[in-house]
Amino acid sequence: MDERRLKESFARAAAYGDEVALFFYSHLFLGHPEVRDMFPISMAHQRDKLLSALGQIVADVSSHDALLPFLRGLGRDHRKFGTLAEHYPVVGASLLATLAHFNGTAWNEDLARDWTEAYTVIAQVMTEAASNDEALNPPWWGATVVGHERRTLDIAVLRVAPDLPFGYVPGQSVAVECEARPRVWRYYSMANAPRHDGTIDFHVRIIDGGAVSSALARSVGVGSRLRLGAPVGTLRLDMNSRRDVVLAAGGAGLAPLKAIIEQAAGLDDPPRMHLVFGASSVTGLYDLADLEKTAAQRPWLTVTPAVSGEPEYRGETGTVADVIGRRVPPTDQDAYVCGSSAMVAATVNRLKSLGVPQNHIYVEDFGWSES
Amino acid sequence: MTRASYEPMTPESVRSASFTSSRLGRRGLDEGEVRAFCEYVSDGLGRLINDNSMLQAEVMRLRERLLEGKGRSGVQPEDGHVQAVYVLSKAQQTADRYVADAQEYSRELAVDARMRSDEILREAKVRASMILEEAHASASRAAAAVVRDPHDLPAADRQELQAELAYLRTFSDVCRTHLRAYLESLTRSIEEWERAEHHGAIAAKDSVRQATQRLVPDGGNPDQANPAGGKRAALVREPRDRSG
Repeated sequence: MDERRLKESFARAAAYGDEVALFFYSHLFLGHPEVRDMFPISMAHQRDKLLSALGQIVADVSSHDALLPFLRGLGRDHRKFGTLAEHYPVVGASLLATLAHFNGTAWNEDLARDWTEAYTVIAQVMTEAASNDEALNPPWWGATVVGHERRTLDIAVLRVAPDLPFGYVPGQSVAVECEARPRVWRYYSMANAPRHDGTIDFHVRIIDGGAVSSALARSVGVGSRLRLGAPVGTLRLDMNSRRDVVLAAGGAGLAPLKAIIEQAAGLDDPPRMHLVFGASSVTGLYDLADLEKTAAQRPWLTVTPAVSGEPEYRGETGTVADVIGRRVPPTDQDAYVCGSSAMVAATVNRLKSLGVPQNHIYVEDFGWSES
Repeated sequence: MTRASYEPMTPESVRSASFTSSRLGRRGLDEGEVRAFCEYVSDGLGRLINDNSMLQAEVMRLRERLLEGKGRSGVQPEDGHVQAVYVLSKAQQTADRYVADAQEYSRELAVDARMRSDEILREAKVRASMILEEAHASASRAAAAVVRDPHDLPAADRQELQAELAYLRTFSDVCRTHLRAYLESLTRSIEEWERAEHHGAIAAKDSVRQATQRLVPDGGNPDQANPAGGKRAALVREPRDRSG
């Protein structure tokens, strides 16, 4: 297998952009109409994902240390879509046809052999990871909504009960699909530490025009069924650290940080934690009452609300970054940041200027974008 | 009938066909009828031959065009699948666009609704504080008047003061009526908006209620012997009362 040749032929096809993924899926669905139902109606988002995954695989083709974990994750992740081992050759055939089509006259027997070899390895790693995961986990977790509360115009808090035990680490998130938007998955953070009754809270911020968030906040109610993928994410409390902790939450970015606070509450010797919870208006501080109640019972926890859009607010005004600059001492500490991309960027900058090293800053960028 | 056996049949040969007369005593055909029939056949045959040659020319023309086209676009029979892929891709793109349009439309609606709700709340705050200021001014004027003992005043002054008090009471009532009317229209606007944004408006109404309570405290009513909370509550009726 000639890696350079592989990369060149991929680059030639990838130059056609979206058209490549469009061709690939149409080719796949024409030959195997039965797999069409595994995808959402609109394929625009799907095509982006395919191209970026392929791009990453091809870029890392020579560094197995990076590629193998990525492929294993991809294989496990595809279980929730209902992907089976027999789907892999079908996809491989369409992939080869697509590459041949866009390489035009540059396509030859050697390339066909290279790609067949490469794809065989990819499919093998992915199916192996999927089948190893089968012994441990279901392909997805069915769950019933047991609580649904619209806290503000924009934010709903859902409580769901999974059918089977759903293990996760506080700070992690999970892909969620609801019946109103079949086969469209969006990630939400678990907003609580694991409970005895197994229920999980999600804080859903409605994104204007967002398909899943608006369905979860409006169409979904108590009794609705959801599907959850496997928990993912690297935002988690560093249990070995003895440093103080600052938690920076922008809006519904509070969710994973609240889970971390609950986790700390279960420790024998919790670290000192200072949560700065920011919103543009007072009503946007949708969970403040509960947080303040928790803080009143835990001497190690301080909660500072920050309001950026109402100068007449009597507490701390300004962004989360502003308030951290004013209220958090400039020392080395662990920082956990979650919110919109802009909020995360500004807060991380401020923390660094306060002397928090990059490797003590843990970030979950919600992105706030949906398609 | 006399004719060259292998010559192709033409309308002329049919028309000019001659028949020898039957021998006397045997029954023969009416010559006129035979001739008329031959002409009829001849016409039909002529038409068929014309049609045939036209069709042959058409076939040739189409065949040539097909061969030409093949050279130009490079379409091969095995490209049929690629064509199908393109057709399906077009259909998918159309579907994608419909979904994207719908999402964009819903996004615009949501943004618009949010802006309207913010605007309504802002206006409510401004109006309420304006009304409150006027009420406060009236209250202090009335209070200043009451501090002086009315019995020391001459009757004319007392009358004037009472008239002033009556005016202030009326003014206060008018203020409150205005405020109530405004808040009612505000609630109606929110209701309208709520039709689009089903549950969300409850939070907005809560804010309006909170804002009203903050901005119109009981002490602000100069004419109130009883600073009844019940009256204040009537300014913004409960959502349930209006839903029917």
